[in-house]
Amino acid sequence: MYFRYDSRKNGGERMKFSNRFWLIVAVMFVCTSVWPVLGQTDAAATTEETPEIPGSVDMSLGVKDTTYVMPENFRGKETGEGDQQWLEDVGYLMQENSDLYNVDAAAIAESANFEGEPNINWEVKKEDADGNMNTESSDNTNKATNDSNIKDPGYYQVHNGGARQVSTSGGAEGEAIGDSGSDSGSESGGAASGEETASAGNEGDASGAAGGDAQTVTAQQRIGIEVHDCTAPDMWVAFQEGAGTVNMAETEEALKAQMVGKIIENMGKPFSTDAKAFEEASYIFLEEGEDSDRDSIPWEKTARLSIAGTLFNERGAPKFESGKLSSKIDQNDYTNHVNVIGGEGKSLKGVYVRRNVPFIIAAISTDNGNKRATAGEVEVKIEDADGKVVEKEGEGYLFRVPNYPRSEYKDQPDYFFTTSAVDKDGNLTTIRMPLYVVNTQAAFEGGRNQ
Amino acid sequence: MNKRSILLFVTIIVGLSVSLFAQDGAGANKETPWLEGVTIGPHPEELSPVLPLKIYLENGEAIPATLTEDVSVTLVADTAIFDPEPPSEYNGTEIPSPKWTRNAAVSWFFIDWEKNKNVAASSSQQLAVNQMVVTPLNPTGKGAITCHIGRKMRYTSPETGKNKGTFANSSVAQDVRVLDITPPTCGLEVSVQGGRSGTFWVAENPPHKYPLPKLADVYFSGALVKEADPAEIITVQGLELGANMVVAPETAAVYVPADAVLNIKVNGEDNYKLDTAKLKYGICKIASGEPIPISPLNAAEVALAELTLPENPYLYVDATDVAGNRQVLFVPLIVK
Repeated sequence: MYFRYDSRKNGGERMKFSNRFWLIVAVMFVCTSVWPVLGQTDAAATTEETPEIPGSVDMSLGVKDTTYVMPENFRGKETGEGDQQWLEDVGYLMQENSDLYNVDAAAIAESANFEGEPNINWEVKKEDADGNMNTESSDNTNKATNDSNIKDPGYYQVHNGGARQVSTSGGAEGEAIGDSGSDSGSESGGAASGEETASAGNEGDASGAAGGDAQTVTAQQRIGIEVHDCTAPDMWVAFQEGAGTVNMAETEEALKAQMVGKIIENMGKPFSTDAKAFEEASYIFLEEGEDSDRDSIPWEKTARLSIAGTLFNERGAPKFESGKLSSKIDQNDYTNHVNVIGGEGKSLKGVYVRRNVPFIIAAISTDNGNKRATAGEVEVKIEDADGKVVEKEGEGYLFRVPNYPRSEYKDQPDYFFTTSAVDKDGNLTTIRMPLYVVNTQAAFEGGRNQ
Repeated sequence: MNKRSILLFVTIIVGLSVSLFAQDGAGANKETPWLEGVTIGPHPEELSPVLPLKIYLENGEAIPATLTEDVSVTLVADTAIFDPEPPSEYNGTEIPSPKWTRNAAVSWFFIDWEKNKNVAASSSQQLAVNQMVVTPLNPTGKGAITCHIGRKMRYTSPETGKNKGTFANSSVAQDVRVLDITPPTCGLEVSVQGGRSGTFWVAENPPHKYPLPKLADVYFSGALVKEADPAEIITVQGLELGANMVVAPETAAVYVPADAVLNIKVNGEDNYKLDTAKLKYGICKIASGEPIPISPLNAAEVALAELTLPENPYLYVDATDVAGNRQVLFVPLIVK
């Protein structure tokens, strides 16, 4: 009823209503025009003096899609630290925001204006063993979202640094440097001009902003991120016989030391694909494969199995073969297990050693947890079908009675070679394959009668 | 004006207001493309102290507003983030039991606002964590050195009584401009009838050399330089980059027939801004180290037969950048 209007009333009432109406309209216009400004400037100073532009402002930073962000207590992590739990090789879309990215600079300072677009930099730092944060990547994208895909486990910080030029007086145009007068330039000429001005700090106002009163205002924020290892360790296994003209390593330790050097040097990949390189020792290489495969997301991880040398077929023929294996992921803790089972019908049928020929076995493992920078020894075993471990004779293994072909030596036990490597996060690589003791003459003179 | 009209009017006004706000939002997306896809607000939801930061020269003096390209300055960052304990109060809010839990992470950048590009500073020297050597490599009229420092800390949440992790942040910028001390690196391309040509160009080598003088190599190629092998690139090394770059005829020259009409094109290069109004090139002789033009200035076509050539004519390019650095390159012109 407040706005009731009766055309039959006299002119005074009409005038009264009209005034009231236009007052309301005016109030509404004032509200609509002032409202957004008030909203933008609530953080700004309201003093009548020229407002001071702050050197920096705060910033928010987070992951936009948290689907694959693991819970805070993932893999036993302490809660309350505020660190995010990520999986290696999974891309996470980061986003950040700051008052520096607004349309206008009212939230920075009253009457302030932005000069141009913000400068936005995304940086990833990794903590080393001494606790120092070292830069892994730095990308000047000038975008407030960024895909972060960290490919190696460890503790990281994703950092966003923002900056923008802010002025309170409409800003200043860019000023050509050294443009203080063409005469001075041409008089000094060439290198001489540099000599006159090259000492840093001799020119300019030490405290003022260059190029006018535009001032660079910064913002930054970081997030701590624990990136978890989801990759099974690489493993190399070497079998080296001590017969014939082959120069057997003096001890097993010597072979291991040689392998440690090579596995680090080759980042876990086979040191050669030439079968001739494996005349002294036969190798099993089990690793993540090509670089493109090494960046697979945890639930699509694969492994490459390579067998090289003379001991992986009954004829003793040298070869180098590679194949891809799938890796099995644990759906709870996202650890991977690469499991190689050898045998008839498998890509790895078994290892064929000669009777009466001593041999040694060494296994070395390296992990992406420290970018394959170190390697460690892995326990190997030869056991029978009941799990009874076959002991070494001296420094190596020696079998005097053949068990291959199995059909001819049914009374002889089955032997299995087993080994496994596990990293600190529980990613596992295991190999189990038959070990055949070959009657030397039959094996190397196959096709003739014994 | 009846009640219905008034309500209609009010509705229009409200609708107009709403549409204005909506347009403002859509406009924000157009005006702030860097925020595309961002769904979080501009302020952190949890406590995250922003601490003051000062950066200055290692001798304690303020960073000058003008630096010089290729000249290093060692800077120091000064902030409470390097204190033994984190702040126990921020913006009037108590921070109970604060402890640092990680080392400070420090990042330095140089922003060239003229290009809106930054370069992350890194030093091969062993420095304290709060120090950085910054060497501006490219001139700019509008730049800034920025320093960003963050450190993980832990405190006791007053609400839950449990530990809580957050970051203390410090960042600041010093606006600077970077003086150009490198002369231009201009060259010429010369061709004659029949398609034969010769080109020479200049590259600073080693790049960013300091102290002065700057050095440069001059490269030559083409049939007018070496008719037997036009593809070969001849390098004249170690000339002082400046106003007296004279190539000796025994190292390289441009050979042309006496009746040739030369087509000359200049390749103007500078590491910042060339003063094109001062650019001169053509054929000259040298007197007191200065080029005395024989051909019309900056002529695209020069008929040798119309010139009175001196005993030792040169092709030359005389270039100056906006900072006044001057390059004059003289290349022997041998008329057969």
